[in-house]
Amino acid sequence: MWNGIKSLITGGRSSREVAKGRLHLVLAHDRSGLEGGKLQEMRQEIAAVIARYVDIDANAVEISIESHSRETQLMVSSPLPARHA
Amino acid sequence: MGRAIVITSGKGGVGKTTTAANIGSALAQLGKSVVVVDADIGLRNLDVVMGLENRIVYHLVDVVRGKCTVAKALIKDRRLENLWLLPASQTDDKDSVTPDDMKKLVCELRATHDFVVIDCPAGIEQGFKNAIAGADEAIVVATPEVSSIRDADRVIGLLAAAGIPARLIVNRISPHLVKRGDMLSQADVIEILALELLGTIPLDEHIVATTNKGIPAVLENKSIAAKEFTRVARSLAGLDAGAPVAAPGFFSRLGRALGLSPAPTA
Ligand SMILES: Nc1ncnc2c1ncn2[C@@H]1O[C@H](COP(=O)(O)OP(=O)(O)OP(=O)(O)O)[C@@H](O)[C@H]1O
Ligand SMILES: [Mg+2]
Repeated sequence: MWNGIKSLITGGRSSREVAKGRLHLVLAHDRSGLEGGKLQEMRQEIAAVIARYVDIDANAVEISIESHSRETQLMVSSPLPARHA
Repeated sequence: MGRAIVITSGKGGVGKTTTAANIGSALAQLGKSVVVVDADIGLRNLDVVMGLENRIVYHLVDVVRGKCTVAKALIKDRRLENLWLLPASQTDDKDSVTPDDMKKLVCELRATHDFVVIDCPAGIEQGFKNAIAGADEAIVVATPEVSSIRDADRVIGLLAAAGIPARLIVNRISPHLVKRGDMLSQADVIEILALELLGTIPLDEHIVATTNKGIPAVLENKSIAAKEFTRVARSLAGLDAGAPVAAPGFFSRLGRALGLSPAPTA
């Protein structure tokens, strides 16, 4: 009962799950050694490169770091416009 | 030639000294000859946790400075036949010792004892570098909290860079909080840190009481924490210990089965 009410308030996630999610994010960044500012700089440069080839909104390019079993990966995602030819 | 094991954590107050005192004592109970070394220079504590504070004459920095021999600085425990403490200095600072000094010292101790258990100070600076310098292997102690795990991860990276293999002890687990969903479980910690688990020590009031008295909990052996420390010591000594409550192999396999972590590539 109380657990049910509590999960309604916290959006269904226990503090344990919240802690796990936060750790995954923090550790991915720590392990990469890239500070937040550097990552954003990199995002802008990558977006500029993509924009040279395709017509995209540079702000729609997203960058993130993920780490599982101590293996860390950089993820870049960008929308590609449909071809009208 | 014995083995030198450093107990480290990054974050302070998570149970390094408690672990060093109990694992050291438990190994001695198993008949191994053991020296526990307090590498927390300037903030010595291992002596009081072990109840040997009244018997200190010389300390680690005296040995390094050549004021006395190692043998002279070792304090013999009166309760256990094969246990010695090399205390830290309380008045010097971490810079009074270099990693080379520690390597030499630990090497000397390793020649005459089965195990050298080194209690590392908190942090990742000079004191940490000194404490790990002579170690063959490491035990990383972490509590199931975000800040402790984050610091442990940093330390694991530094140990890997130094070529020191590490295993994990999760300390101060409270099973009812885990059950309620308000504490990370040992499986969560293993999954996040991707380190082999050596043991899980519960949050246990006997640790508080025995620490008050200056008696390592394993000597009274009444508590679950003490039994788990003894189990860890057996496994370190290569004796039949039984698996830790959760084996990491199981969780990484489970993780892969659920698509949480990628399958290993050949
Ligand atoms: N499993 C446990 N159950 C209950 N109390 C514990 C447990 N482990 C450690 N403690 C208590 O937590 C406190 C900190 O432990 P300890 O001194 O071993 O940590 P530490 O990592 O050596 O700290 P520092 O970084 O300051 O050297 C102590 O009061 C100790 O008695
Ligand atoms: Mg300590």
